[in-house]
Amino acid sequence: MSVLSVRNLTKRFGGLDAVKSVSLAVGAGETVSIIGPNGAGKTTLFQLITGAERPDGGEVYLEGERIDGLPAHAIAARGIARTFQNGRVYGNLTVLENVLLGAHARLQAEFGRPARPLGGVLGAIREVIAAVARPSRLRRMEAALVEEAREILSLFGDRLLPRLHQPAYSLSYANRRRTELARALALRPKILLLDEPTAGMNPTETEEMTDVIKQLQARGHAILLIEHKLDLVSAVSHRVVALEAGQVLVEGTPEAVWSDPRLVEAYVGRSAGQSRGHAAGDAAAGTPAKASGGAAGKAPGDAAGDVLGEAAVPGALVPLSRRATVH
Amino acid sequence: MLDQLINGLVVGNLYALTAVGITQIYGVAGVINFAHGSIYMVGAFVGWMAVTWFGLPLLPTLAVVLLASALLGLAVERVAIRPFGGSGRTVLLLSTIAAGLILEQAAQLIWGPETKAFHSPFADVRFRVGGGSIGTLDLLILAVGLSTALVLWLFLKRSRLGWAVRATAQDREAALQMGVDVNQVSRLSFAMAGALAGVSGLLVGLYYHSVYHTMGFSASLKGFTAALLGGLGNIPGAILGAYLLGTAEALGVAWLGSSWRDLIGIALLIGVLLFRPGGLFAAARQLLPEPTAGTFIPIGRPLQIPRWALLAAAAAAVTLPLVVRNGYWLQVLATAWIFGLLAVSLNLITGTAGQISLGHAGFLAMGAYASAILTSRLQVPFLLALLLSPVIAAAIGVLICYPALRLRGQYLAVATIGLGQGIALVALNWPALTRGPLGISNIAPPSLFGYEITSAAGFYWLTLALLIGGIWVAERLSGSYLGRALRAVREDEVAARAYGVGLERYKSIAFGASAFIAAFAGVLLAHSYTYIAPDTFTHALSLQVLTMVVLGGLDSTIGVVAGALALITIPESARFLAEYRFLVYGVLLLLMLRFRPRGLLSAAS
Amino acid sequence: MSLRGALRARVLLAGVLTIAVVMAGCTSKASTPPGTEGAAGAQTTASQDGVLIGVMGPLTGDSAEYGKIWRRGFDLALEEINAAGGVQGRPLSYVFEDTQTDPKQTPAVAQKFVANEKIVAVIGDFSSPASMAASPIYQRAGLVQLGITNSHPDFTKAGDYIWSNSGSQEDDAPFLATLAVEDLGKKRLAVLHMNTDWGQTSADLFIGKAESLGAEIVLREAYLLTEKDFRPVLTKARDANPDALILISYYNDGALIAQQIDDVGLDVTVVAIGSVYSPQFINLGGEAVEGVYTSTRFHPADPRPEAQEFVRKYRERYGVEPNNFAAVAYDGMKILAAVLNDVGVDRKALRDGLEKAENLQTVMYGTTSFGEDRRLRNPQYLRLVVRNGAFEIWKP
Repeated sequence: MSVLSVRNLTKRFGGLDAVKSVSLAVGAGETVSIIGPNGAGKTTLFQLITGAERPDGGEVYLEGERIDGLPAHAIAARGIARTFQNGRVYGNLTVLENVLLGAHARLQAEFGRPARPLGGVLGAIREVIAAVARPSRLRRMEAALVEEAREILSLFGDRLLPRLHQPAYSLSYANRRRTELARALALRPKILLLDEPTAGMNPTETEEMTDVIKQLQARGHAILLIEHKLDLVSAVSHRVVALEAGQVLVEGTPEAVWSDPRLVEAYVGRSAGQSRGHAAGDAAAGTPAKASGGAAGKAPGDAAGDVLGEAAVPGALVPLSRRATVH
Repeated sequence: MLDQLINGLVVGNLYALTAVGITQIYGVAGVINFAHGSIYMVGAFVGWMAVTWFGLPLLPTLAVVLLASALLGLAVERVAIRPFGGSGRTVLLLSTIAAGLILEQAAQLIWGPETKAFHSPFADVRFRVGGGSIGTLDLLILAVGLSTALVLWLFLKRSRLGWAVRATAQDREAALQMGVDVNQVSRLSFAMAGALAGVSGLLVGLYYHSVYHTMGFSASLKGFTAALLGGLGNIPGAILGAYLLGTAEALGVAWLGSSWRDLIGIALLIGVLLFRPGGLFAAARQLLPEPTAGTFIPIGRPLQIPRWALLAAAAAAVTLPLVVRNGYWLQVLATAWIFGLLAVSLNLITGTAGQISLGHAGFLAMGAYASAILTSRLQVPFLLALLLSPVIAAAIGVLICYPALRLRGQYLAVATIGLGQGIALVALNWPALTRGPLGISNIAPPSLFGYEITSAAGFYWLTLALLIGGIWVAERLSGSYLGRALRAVREDEVAARAYGVGLERYKSIAFGASAFIAAFAGVLLAHSYTYIAPDTFTHALSLQVLTMVVLGGLDSTIGVVAGALALITIPESARFLAEYRFLVYGVLLLLMLRFRPRGLLSAAS
Repeated sequence: MSLRGALRARVLLAGVLTIAVVMAGCTSKASTPPGTEGAAGAQTTASQDGVLIGVMGPLTGDSAEYGKIWRRGFDLALEEINAAGGVQGRPLSYVFEDTQTDPKQTPAVAQKFVANEKIVAVIGDFSSPASMAASPIYQRAGLVQLGITNSHPDFTKAGDYIWSNSGSQEDDAPFLATLAVEDLGKKRLAVLHMNTDWGQTSADLFIGKAESLGAEIVLREAYLLTEKDFRPVLTKARDANPDALILISYYNDGALIAQQIDDVGLDVTVVAIGSVYSPQFINLGGEAVEGVYTSTRFHPADPRPEAQEFVRKYRERYGVEPNNFAAVAYDGMKILAAVLNDVGVDRKALRDGLEKAENLQTVMYGTTSFGEDRRLRNPQYLRLVVRNGAFEIWKP
């Protein structure tokens, strides 16, 4: 059984089909990457899966349990953690508080039962009483969570641990994104949804983040990843799903996807010969058509380089993709 | 029936003027401008001066009023809008409230509190319509309303400058990059809105033959409702909304009675906010274009006050009556402690959870009435009433507020105004429960275990004890994971939701806990005044508590208590300032928002 | 967070708290109450052997104009009292504390007055809620509170230290009924009243009396204090086919209502309760209030000798005619002075003296005394009608 299963998911905004009958699945321990040009519907897909938007059609299953139509906070409580395209941390709260908030659902489940009867009123009252009374059970759980937070943050070496009590607004952009990821991990998710986790990061930071993702993979996390940096995609993905105009264009292993002609056509244009001009033009416009990132030499990416190779200027990828995704 | 319909249209006519102005400024600046009513009022006074003192005829009067109000609009823009450029729309709500307050108080000081007769030297010919009549002034107002709406609409839709205005409204950054002088546009918008507000005030003043300094508040509330009905930003919609409101009120009066009039308006206001926030004419339930990332709460953390200081202060406070025998100051400090409780309770909602609540007097009222009714009518002993009233207030409070909690930012704020007023109006119109306007008198003084607390010192200790209790509860909540969750809601609702923090649930918790604590203040109030009536719990009181919270520091429990202490004791020792009290509040609020939004006791500025 | 910033803030906090405490400490030793108003005519410092009355009322805020008028009444009374030797040979004066007639401010002022041993009696406040919020404090402390404009029926019931020389709704409203039904012969009455405590009780009392005189109430409508648009309710009234419109209003709303009557095609006699009796009523209402009937307990043209005497002196001193509020203020001060003079300058003695006093000389009641309800007996009323832009005395 897959951890996450999406079937025929559809979303319309006005007259526009943002997501059209998209299906995909993520198995246990699997990392699936979603790629596609801006406006392809990638983030909308995340919105639908996490309940931030209601789908107009289709279903979403988490470990076999249907979750579409549930409110976002309920879906999060069931074990889906996501990060955001431009990073959303709680600015005035400390790094520690941000991470602890990832575990909120667990605290609520423990001290705010029941969730259902009378619209959760009883549960809410219990929570308030617990907050004021501070039973030892609560204090112990908090202490355990703090330990857990430290452990999670140690993933980032000494980038965040020394800054545990600093407010998030004072962090660098990269540190904020790391905090966001730590918060996601604190949720103990069944699956991680990462929306462009390296957007706006320089090559060193990107490499660090790539390592982190690999460590998470090693721990067995299932990950659904949106990324523009195709070398990162190649480095970590078991499977790639390419979206275009709200629909799944191509799906498969990275090698299979890079060499699929439909992908090449979608991103690069009619023929490889035109590709240089197109690629340059696209690069200037900021579209991630430079799958040429594969030519940078990381192992799974070689096939991409073969297809698009001579159009690409390896070094040109990184600054361009950053420009494409700067906010 | 026909006559009542006509009556509705006649008054709707008046609402339309204000509605168009409010909707226009929302459409171009994305701001619900709370200073609108005050400009309206000043415009009326300027017109009154022109006619009564200088004997100007109609057209020059209109011109003078247009000019003066446009200038006033510019002033408001400069002082209350521009400095807060990047701060998000909710702070603009507060800054325009402050600006409005300053204008209103200044007007009272300049022209005096009495109503001024405003007899129009312009002929009023009446035409029989149905059983009643309408006059030339009605037609003039209609003409002005429709023509300004038309001119505005054409301007915004057809002219280049109008496009620039709309572009700025949609996306300031983009407009800036396109070469639009956004500051110019902002100034123009507010000048236009101001001019319209002033002219509305003039015409309404002429209509009712009087001008007075509070005429802006209810006019603007009606204007908001009408504008909301038609869809904010929708100019023709505002006019239709106004007629709808007027007619609903007239029919409501015919059916239920005159005293229900304002409740009908409030019911419509809240109904629209909940079910059709895009207005009656919009397609289905639209999402409100409210910024979803936390943009109000400014950077900074409340100061951590060392324990020794707190304990010392508490010890000083507790031992004070042993040293100070002056009943007057003990009474003043007791009042300060009561307001301290109120500030602590409002802080939970506004400081910690980041929701602007402008109807806090409503919670106070519920606590006060609950206790008054329990002790006076049901002979419940004081101690029991003290424990029951907060529960009742919290339960009713959450029930009433819950539907509105889906709203965000300034929409929630407007809803809370309606709710606060609504609670007072319900108290007014439910004599079986509350004795209506007569209020409840001869409320017994507090008594614990048979011992009546009647001395100033005794009452001081009682209020101090409850304040300390309230602080303790608030701090415990604030420092727990619940507090963390509330702050998450404040900082970023989108992220909070994505991490399991149910927004309605936690906002309800904030409102419920707040109502609970505020009710204690209500109980104390009822049993110390021994007489409460609906007009004890005014909108001004809500603003007063809000100022204390902003002054003392959002999300700082001790800070807001200090704010309450300051705002109660300082005016007492400077009684010559009494007339300027609310003027000072307005200025203070504005200054704090601008320079120390984190409160006086904050670390970062 | 800089160290300096934290330190600065700490100092600020300590400062705020200290200021509050120090202020409390300092003023506890004060023997003369602070915050006295220095204005023309008011004697504000109590000399060692003087007699002091505390006054609480509105000097600022919405009702400020009434406070000003009160002062004129007080000052005129003081002039006469002190010229005649004062109270037991000692000069009489008062100290006026501004409360903005706000019930949230009156308890504190009450505490202040109670604590000041020099104050032997208190006059005030202006509105009933403000007065009643303070009454328990006066009652417990045994300091006489004389309300001069408190018509709320519950006011004097707060205790035996609470007195009033103001008319009660229990008298004002029934008189209006007599005026409308007996004197003007109206039988079908449409009653419009303000939805306040005063409005409700007055309406109830009016209706009770009117019905007992054989009239029919065809409509009773309460309207909000802030109401401006009376067309719907007046249309309702018109449809009920009355022969008179009864207004339980203040002059502001009364004038507004009068102006809108014509607009709905209602054409009946208007009888309004005495609170419309104010130049503002005519000022605001203009033509529309011509022919409105009302009553008052005081009118400058009142032929009674005590009234004429008062009007003459007031006109001489201030150059304008006195109104109701000036008269009650004058009477209030005079009553207190007279009783104090008799029984001695003592809080309890004053209370007992008020109870036993007979033949009190007042402008508004003539010679009178206090009843069991601690209000003055035999209120006098005058009937008025608006003619040619002025209130004239009317005889049926």
